[in-house]
Amino acid sequence: MSRQEIDPIQEDIKTVVWNASNQIQSTDQRTAIAANIPVAFSLLLIIPIVGLLMQGIRYLSGLQAGSIFSLWVWVGLTVVVPLAWLFYKAATLQITIDRQRALLATDKQLGSSERITTADEFMRHPTTDGFMKAAVDDASEWAKRGRVAKLTRSQARRPKYRVAWFAVPGSAILIALLLFVGQFSRPVKISEVELSGRNPQLQKTAGLTESDPEEQREDPAEEKAQAVPKENQNKPRKQKAVNRQGNANAAIPDNAEESDGKLNEGETRESTQSSNPSSARGAPSASGQPSKSDETPKPRKKKKKKSKPEREREKKEREEEEKPSGASSGQGSSKGSDNNAAPSDWASTSQAATPEDDNVEDEEDVDDEEEEQESRGGVQPNMRDRRTPVNRDLQIGFGNPRPNPDANGRGGPSGQKKSRGVASLVLGVPIPDRVNGQPNKGRIRITQQRITPEVEESDPVNAQERTALNGPVGPIHRPELEPWLQNLVRKYFLGQREKAPLGTPEKVNDTTNSNDSLQTSNVSESESPQS
Amino acid sequence: MSSTLSADTPAEAREAAEEFRSVHSAIRTEVGRMMVGQDATVDGVLAALFAAGHVLLEGVPGLGKTLLVSSLGKAIDLSFSRIQFTPDMMPADIRGTNVLTENEAGGTKLEFQAGPLVANLVLADEINRATPRTQAALLESMQEKQISVGKRTIQLEDPFCVMATQNPVEQEGTYPLPEAQLDRFLFKLVVGYPAESDYRTILRRTTSNEQVELKPVSDANTVIRMRQVVRAVPVPEHVETDAIRLVMATQPGNEHTAPMVNEVVALGASPRGVQALILAGKVRALLEGRFAVATEDLKAVAHDVLRHRVLVNFQGMSEGVTSDEVIAEILK
Repeated sequence: MSRQEIDPIQEDIKTVVWNASNQIQSTDQRTAIAANIPVAFSLLLIIPIVGLLMQGIRYLSGLQAGSIFSLWVWVGLTVVVPLAWLFYKAATLQITIDRQRALLATDKQLGSSERITTADEFMRHPTTDGFMKAAVDDASEWAKRGRVAKLTRSQARRPKYRVAWFAVPGSAILIALLLFVGQFSRPVKISEVELSGRNPQLQKTAGLTESDPEEQREDPAEEKAQAVPKENQNKPRKQKAVNRQGNANAAIPDNAEESDGKLNEGETRESTQSSNPSSARGAPSASGQPSKSDETPKPRKKKKKKSKPEREREKKEREEEEKPSGASSGQGSSKGSDNNAAPSDWASTSQAATPEDDNVEDEEDVDDEEEEQESRGGVQPNMRDRRTPVNRDLQIGFGNPRPNPDANGRGGPSGQKKSRGVASLVLGVPIPDRVNGQPNKGRIRITQQRITPEVEESDPVNAQERTALNGPVGPIHRPELEPWLQNLVRKYFLGQREKAPLGTPEKVNDTTNSNDSLQTSNVSESESPQS
Repeated sequence: MSSTLSADTPAEAREAAEEFRSVHSAIRTEVGRMMVGQDATVDGVLAALFAAGHVLLEGVPGLGKTLLVSSLGKAIDLSFSRIQFTPDMMPADIRGTNVLTENEAGGTKLEFQAGPLVANLVLADEINRATPRTQAALLESMQEKQISVGKRTIQLEDPFCVMATQNPVEQEGTYPLPEAQLDRFLFKLVVGYPAESDYRTILRRTTSNEQVELKPVSDANTVIRMRQVVRAVPVPEHVETDAIRLVMATQPGNEHTAPMVNEVVALGASPRGVQALILAGKVRALLEGRFAVATEDLKAVAHDVLRHRVLVNFQGMSEGVTSDEVIAEILK
């Protein structure tokens, strides 16, 4: 075969290769993208899963309920990720078509029994014999046909879309779950937060923002040392303590007398206020003498400066309190135990509290004595009101001419020794257990009123006069309200009640349960101007 | 006709290929006068003859296997011998032996008497009935085309072709051929039942006074020349690759092996399988009017070439898997 005869075949084969390569490349691209579709389907699950994790973290961290994004944002993100994956795959796809592959595809399309491919190979062979040349010559007709051959799309392997059967509904379910979970927030125990002291939001709610509990615990010792020289600083506190005691005396004089029966006022105050009688008695003597702590007064740590209006308000309160409590203060000073600036941690906590807290504590003092004994701010409970233990000395002779008036023959360890018992092992952490706005029920007061039942007469109702319903009523959904919503409703109706004139009948909130209604009535008693 | 091939030019190649087709057609037509139906078997036998291979014909009795081979011997004018294998047959019975004979002077001498194996076309009928010892006597002749008797080595005349038959049904008292001998057969052809129309022709020819006399349409030299033509056919590189991978795919544990092969195949094809594939592909390419082997030629002859080279293991046999099914799976 001459050179002139081979050249046209080479041109034909070149054209065949170019055509076939382009067609195969487009087919391969479609095939490659189709192969990635199952992966894209599985990527539908990524965003919902990540969202669920984020929502879970949000729930565990105790943040407020609510989804991070809205439904349509979640759906959009879920769809965007697989599409981005497909676009990325299409952009980074590199398909190189082999020359032999293109020729074989053309041969297959033409049914030429690989004549073109064979001829192309034989033409590039270094040595050719008669059979090779004959094969090339034989392929020339097929090569001409191959120039215009259009390859039929080879049946690309259809990827298994089984993954789509669970990916699409799975992602939908996950998104729904995501939005559902977003409605909940973890209930946070206020005690945990108070102990850790790291949640300023809840501290604010609990009214403890002014001072840290640790700081409050440290304060009494320092105040005890600084009590005498810094009269300007201690005076308000003393007056405040006196005021508190005076209020307590004014509020529960009967209780104190009933509980003891033979104690006078000063003794009653002693039993309720001072945790250690001996220290309480020693305090007044110390108040008149300069102590060593005067010389080296320790600077106060983290003492927050009160604002000007607060100072003025406190000043006014002190002036008002001094007027009625003059007698009691005199008693306290004569006894020497009531004006102790730092008799116990409990007293210091009370001093450090805000005026609102003082009000709350005053109310508590009024309520009952038993409750007061239980809430001593973590101070060893058995040491507070303990009297001097009974003397074991029977005082029978032994050269002691004067009998001990306290000797009753029962005996027992001294007060100091008794303080070493189990009671001393109880942790003395001042934990305010009543904070305004806490989500507990609070105190419940039950008032019974004796009312003679009266007969109410009403017109009889004729059942036949009732007309039939126009349509089906259907199921009425009455969901249980969330606590915060109950609180909101309660506040709303309380506000309405306050605004309403005196003659207006009260609206009763039917949605609250019995406890809630009871709370409502209690609060109304305490907060409404009528009460 | 010359015994050497000259195909340096395309014209000569075309001429040689055309001659091949004409010879093939002539022999096929002549054999077809005696052998009714079984065209695929006739083509396979002729392909094996032109590819210088041996054929194992497997079929139930009465299908004309022996008739086919004897007819082929008559049509090509080759020396033909038929060996009916039996369990008591000894190697010397087929190879020949030294026999004590009288010479002209009245004395005796040892003279080699050639056995039936010394022929151009040997029909080994029911080869699986012979003992392995006798079967092994065929090994040297089939591969080396020579027989060794004592100190004597006798070169077998070219063309030499062994066409063996075996009955797949009657397995009692038979000795299955060892793998070494099976591998030496180029083809294993399965002879099936003829079609209905073929039955009528068979009846007419065999149950009447009609006598069919076969005439030789070719000779040994022509066959040798046609074998040269076959070997002159070029094989493209991609076809060689396909043939190699096809054979490798039959070998368990190979990288080209299908999972099914690993499970049910005990032994795959040897390199003789690739040789057989290419040679048979060349014959088919010439018969198809092409000057080079194509992949479709390999696929067309794969079953005949690999059928007896792929041995199914016990698991495959218990599941009823045949070697043809394995090959079909590989060809997918």
